[in-house]
Amino acid sequence: MSAGLSRRALLRGALAGGALSVGVALAGCGGSRARIVRRADETGELAPNAFVTVMPSGVVALAVHKAEIGQGVATAYATLVAEELEVEPGDIDFHFADSLPEFRTMTVEDVPLFAIQATGGSTSTMEAYLPLRRAAAAAREMLVAAAAAAWAVSPDTCVARAGRVHHPASERSFGYGELTRSAARQPVPHEPAVKRRDQFRVIGKHGARVDGRAKVTGAAIYGIDVTVPDMVCAYPIHGPTFGARPRQVRADAARRSPGVIDVLAMPWGVAVVADKYWQALRAARLVEIDWHDGATRGLDTATLLRAARAHDGSGAPARDDGDAPRALRHADGVTLDAVYEAPYLAHAPLEPQNCVAVVRGRSVELWAPCQSPTALQESVGEALGIGREHVLVHTTFAGGGFGRRLLGDYAVQAATVAREVGRPVKLIWSRESDMTQGYYRPAAVTFVRAALDPRGRTRALSFHTLSQPITVDSAETLRGGQPSWLPAFLRRSSSRATMALAASNTAPDMFACEGARDTPYQIPNLRVAYTPIDTGLPVASWRSVGHSINGFVIESALDELAHAANQDPYAFRRAHLRAGSRERRVLDAVAKLAGWGRPPPAGHAWGIARHTAFGSEAAEIAEVTVTDGRVRVTRVWCAIECGVVVNPDIVRAQLEGGILFGLSAALDQEITVKDGVVQETNFDRVPSLRMHESPRIEVAIIDSDADPTGVGEPGVPPIAPAVANAVFALTGKRLRTLPLQRAYDLAVRS
Amino acid sequence: MKLRVNGKSAAVDVPTDTPLLWVLREELGLTGTKFGCGKALCGACTVLVDGKARRACVTATGDVADHDITTVEGLADGDVLHAVQQAWLEENVPQCGYCQSGQILSAVALLARRPAPTDDDVDAVMSASLCRCGTYPRIRRAIVRAAELASRRGGAP
Repeated sequence: MSAGLSRRALLRGALAGGALSVGVALAGCGGSRARIVRRADETGELAPNAFVTVMPSGVVALAVHKAEIGQGVATAYATLVAEELEVEPGDIDFHFADSLPEFRTMTVEDVPLFAIQATGGSTSTMEAYLPLRRAAAAAREMLVAAAAAAWAVSPDTCVARAGRVHHPASERSFGYGELTRSAARQPVPHEPAVKRRDQFRVIGKHGARVDGRAKVTGAAIYGIDVTVPDMVCAYPIHGPTFGARPRQVRADAARRSPGVIDVLAMPWGVAVVADKYWQALRAARLVEIDWHDGATRGLDTATLLRAARAHDGSGAPARDDGDAPRALRHADGVTLDAVYEAPYLAHAPLEPQNCVAVVRGRSVELWAPCQSPTALQESVGEALGIGREHVLVHTTFAGGGFGRRLLGDYAVQAATVAREVGRPVKLIWSRESDMTQGYYRPAAVTFVRAALDPRGRTRALSFHTLSQPITVDSAETLRGGQPSWLPAFLRRSSSRATMALAASNTAPDMFACEGARDTPYQIPNLRVAYTPIDTGLPVASWRSVGHSINGFVIESALDELAHAANQDPYAFRRAHLRAGSRERRVLDAVAKLAGWGRPPPAGHAWGIARHTAFGSEAAEIAEVTVTDGRVRVTRVWCAIECGVVVNPDIVRAQLEGGILFGLSAALDQEITVKDGVVQETNFDRVPSLRMHESPRIEVAIIDSDADPTGVGEPGVPPIAPAVANAVFALTGKRLRTLPLQRAYDLAVRS
Repeated sequence: MKLRVNGKSAAVDVPTDTPLLWVLREELGLTGTKFGCGKALCGACTVLVDGKARRACVTATGDVADHDITTVEGLADGDVLHAVQQAWLEENVPQCGYCQSGQILSAVALLARRPAPTDDDVDAVMSASLCRCGTYPRIRRAIVRAAELASRRGGAP
């Protein structure tokens, strides 16, 4: 597979791009000498780059240019900066960076000029690991140089420690705040020295989250909490089908309701605008709307999935090692011939979509819990017919994200309503809108056929998946990556070209086959193929994206083959992984952690699964029991190798969270569409795991010297297959369809 | 209508059937109480009414006038966090944090009733609150820690 423009490069190009961008800023383009000196003269602040500022009070301020969606990025970034500036992470004064050009650090390899500000692909720590430490080290070296100059000693004889520069020989010291003005006059170091791993003081050790206190006191400001002067509130009513426009709106009674300012028919629905949101909610009950049919009228997901199951084709190959079809034809017998199915899924972040928009003439200011300020700039800029450089986005704390907030649809709604009413608007979706008008994890039907050789190894495996490609909707999230001096039509065609290039380079669909195309299992005849389905249903990245489906398929299939070969599922997987590989190491670690081989408690069984994703390797063992027909997961063991760990407790939290997020979906969740209408409208129909069903989870982090890789998503893919494999071990029922509880109920009945 | 929120009296001019959630957030500026579902399904809006957990999104404001209402903003004593908040910090519970006001208030109500709760007590009460980030294992640990902290501080949590 070409490494050119895979999803890896697409979202992980940040690795190279981030370093470059911050490097440029350090070298002066992002903060020329004169500007640094002028800022220090005017404010007393030392700001050698866009990220790190030393205040005259001595406090270190940090611009976090990623969304804090719970993954702990603010803490990780504060820790990286604290390490090099010799302060405590908890003392760093962080804020979320506005949508300025210097924060567009996510780039795509081989696509010149492309750069966006976005949070996704589990890239935030890997992107910033070196650049942010350099940004902080530059400030430290300037402070040290300024102190050394004041004392007329060599900088080598000075040390930075606990927010001060010391000269141990003469027992003199300056606080950082006393040095900012003179430090600003020092040259900005091009390659400031960063610590080696054995010199780390807080990286890998520090525990407490820097946003913890704000989040336990109610002080953290999420998008939904933002208020601006003269603001009014909007409650959006969306049509039953996707893209439905209002045909007729009867709103006389609603308009007379107290506090109501207007009821607006918009291209995307109806906005009830009032002084207060509770007034808009009251009035919304009085609005009567006839809707045009949206694009999805007639769509039925059950019919769609039945049709996919009946599909007779071979798909376009994404990987073709050896000759799998021939090997399967000539095998003594096909050991496995199975169809796996995964449903559409909603992200359902707990904070519903919302945005505050202020439109002033031809400029717009937005406050939103968003994962891609660039996408908001571009989509709002286009909707209002203004350049995206006239759209300023303030990112707030976000109540979950999971990929949903990479889109900018809700911001367009807020901005267009604000323009219509001529006042600042806060627009808040209902939970029902969030569930029924989302962008979903696509459903997939996957055919797997495999044969064993006489030694009980997999001789051939053919994987053919049918699903809706998310590249089209992803293009929305990547829009705005081109420079604003390109005319809008060129930018649009350019981002389409970017996606086309990406798709062609990794054809077939890079997301649909990820985790299967790049499986590390050693299988001499391996075919991975894809057939796209077109439905018109909006789809998008959902925590771990294609891996969330393909992890289930591959790890279920391997388990079926292990049982067919009469081998232990752990040993069988191990035999298919390279000796000395990271995959084997992590698989061994989880087996050791759980004590694989010892008998599970009576009435319980274990299932094992592993998966490589987002640069990291994760393996999980689930302990399952069935009580009164309910599949219950009682324990989960997880091992991960994700490079150098910045904050081990947050890595553990992300794995726990990924496991529980994945388990909610694996057991119970699905989005179904009937005649174009999503049937699941709130948390009663999309159940999420609750405390009483939350398993005990143990996480082991494998020590590594490699640069950090992803942790937000890699915990998700192994959990569904680990549970399905455990259910098989317990009951002999092989569940090939998600969600597993529904599949189990069907298996019991039949 | 007169409300008593976090020990302070406040007058609000809203219809009596207005959900308490929006009165707290919009009329009193107490945005620590969150909107998640509007149907008492997720628990993000949990507040205490006379010490008992209530879902503010389906609580008519008129029904709780003249009762003691506590929101997350009313838990700490100046800079000294409530034992439950302190335990939440020490266990690094919050991820996105959006559900945590509701989780914390549910835990406060639980510990007031059962100062040393069993796992079943925790399950019964805390299952009303949904966390999409999956902080349940830490919440369970934090409740145990809060109970210990409270008994060390020598009083009900």
